[in-house]
Amino acid sequence: MSHTFNTPRYGFLIDASKCIDCRTCMVSCSVENNVSMETTRIWIKETGVTGTFPDLSRYTVPYHCMHCVDPSCVSACTVGALQRTEDGIVKYDNDICIGCRYCMYACPFEVPNYEWDQQLPLVVKCDMCFSRLEEGQQPACAQTCPTGAIQFGKYEDMLALAHRMIEENPGKYVDHIYGEEENGGTATLYISPVPFEELGFPIAGTTSPAYSNRLVTEGTPLVAGAMLVGLSGAYLTIKNEKEEAEEERRLAEQTPVAAGEEDSHAS
Amino acid sequence: MLRKLFHELSTLPKYIYVFAAITAFGLSIGIYRMYAGLGVTTNLSKAFPWGIWISFDLATVALSGGAFTLAALVYVLHFESLHSAVRPTVLAGLLGYSSVLVILLFDLGRWDRFYNVFLHPNFSSALLEVSWCIAAYSSILFYELSPVLLEKSRWRRFLPTIKKYTIPIVIAGVTLSTMHQSSLGTMFVIMSPRLHPLWYSMILPIFFLVSSLAAGISLVIAGATVSYWLFGRSLKIRILAKLGWFLPWILSFYVVLKFGELLIAGELDMLFSSGHYSVLFWAELIIGFFIPIAWFSFKRVRNSRILSMFGAFMIMGGVVLNRFDVTWFGMNPVDGETYSPHWMEVAILVGVVAGLITIYSLVAHYFPVYEETELYREPANTAPRLQEAPASGD
Repeated sequence: MSHTFNTPRYGFLIDASKCIDCRTCMVSCSVENNVSMETTRIWIKETGVTGTFPDLSRYTVPYHCMHCVDPSCVSACTVGALQRTEDGIVKYDNDICIGCRYCMYACPFEVPNYEWDQQLPLVVKCDMCFSRLEEGQQPACAQTCPTGAIQFGKYEDMLALAHRMIEENPGKYVDHIYGEEENGGTATLYISPVPFEELGFPIAGTTSPAYSNRLVTEGTPLVAGAMLVGLSGAYLTIKNEKEEAEEERRLAEQTPVAAGEEDSHAS
Repeated sequence: MLRKLFHELSTLPKYIYVFAAITAFGLSIGIYRMYAGLGVTTNLSKAFPWGIWISFDLATVALSGGAFTLAALVYVLHFESLHSAVRPTVLAGLLGYSSVLVILLFDLGRWDRFYNVFLHPNFSSALLEVSWCIAAYSSILFYELSPVLLEKSRWRRFLPTIKKYTIPIVIAGVTLSTMHQSSLGTMFVIMSPRLHPLWYSMILPIFFLVSSLAAGISLVIAGATVSYWLFGRSLKIRILAKLGWFLPWILSFYVVLKFGELLIAGELDMLFSSGHYSVLFWAELIIGFFIPIAWFSFKRVRNSRILSMFGAFMIMGGVVLNRFDVTWFGMNPVDGETYSPHWMEVAILVGVVAGLITIYSLVAHYFPVYEETELYREPANTAPRLQEAPASGD
């Protein structure tokens, strides 16, 4: 089985230098998607206050699902409640999820959230406001961000814009687009004036753990088949050997002379 | 009728009542958890979405590995002398797996739709493989155990039919067990960003499989000695000695594999430089592997009930610690958050374990679980029908 992954159709470009920590994105996301502010689909990562007085600085940045090209959560989900669409949106199906929470551990970006305070909880995760996209609108967070820190558009455009902003503003950004390579590429891209580790971003590899997972899980039916054949073979072989030995023993008891000859021949 | 029941109940050993009471308490907390949700009853969080329940499940499955190890040894590889150990082990395995399923149901956020596991399978998910295999294997263990339950009832007439299909069923069962023992390791292959490199490995499935063989055999040895005290019934020391003989080999294989993997991954420097992770790693290996390898190499140990039980408990401890490390202690914390279980999580767990002991004791009390003489005859009978004619000589 080979897996090919189309590049995402849409993308976010989130600029940490423009975020002012107003949390409009969190409120608009919560209203749009009807989720509690306790467990929103978007939240703020920050550096904390750094530097010595009076040269203090603090950077913040909104953070939500990366919409990976090869998402670990989709690979891990027991019941296929998480799926990546043709457009590259990683969607969550409320009606299928059984709440095993494997996706939360599988996600290298620690994105899926959970409604811990609900009786019958669900996973909370950005779906790019796909119903708004269908109506030709932007996702709620991008639409409402007052400083333009969250931009949304065609993936290619966002990637090109990210490169251009880094090139045109030398020294303003670190030379790294988070999400271009991370985890095999993601639809959400970040640029930042400070290294991403300082913002509390996970250090992700360039291939998705979903790949290693598939290597093992897709080999499983083969191993199972081989085991069935091997075990049946072992059972029959040993059984035959035992029966033959039994037969020989019986023959030996009946005609001791013949068995003696057989023995000397064998040794 | 009622008087008969009361009389029957009064003949049971008293400890059963204690365990039954603990079970009832644990299960009532469990029902409260179903009603109230996970937030109030557990300390699970975004950083630690899995807790002590999952650790317990993995440890229990590893210990229940005895059932398939013995089935493979006795039925497939024809170590017929070990046959008398099969019944208690299969019973322990069946109860172990049942408790895993019960705990999993408590753990699922949407326990009300657990059946989606069967309706909406995602075949690249290791957890799907685990749940399918465990469900199928529990049924197989029940099949393997059914002769014990039927032998003295009026359903006895089904015994020949059941025995006729024992071998194919056992082979399917051994395959399923191999699959899910290893798939439990596969579950963590996708967690490379979270699990500490001392435990993370692409070959975790193999580590899990091999250590479950050792843990399973240890459970048979320890269980036989404990039931020697509790019921006055046990397995022959000769059989325990034979089982103990396998242990150093399995454990050594694991150790070689483990250090080989660390060497190839270039992670040997972490053995001493990872703070409490290093301590846990060495505790696991020394208690569960190094000491038992030496311990079970002595013939005197293998031939002594008490000494081999001691070694078996060390192995079980080491393997259980390993499962806890992989699922809990070895997970890198997110944003400094850590996890320790809520008392209700522990209460539910204790209740389920008490339930296990209660049911095991009851079954062993009423059914011929430990009857060796009965069993020594069986291997000849379990062979497929076609081969019966030549075997009739004995």
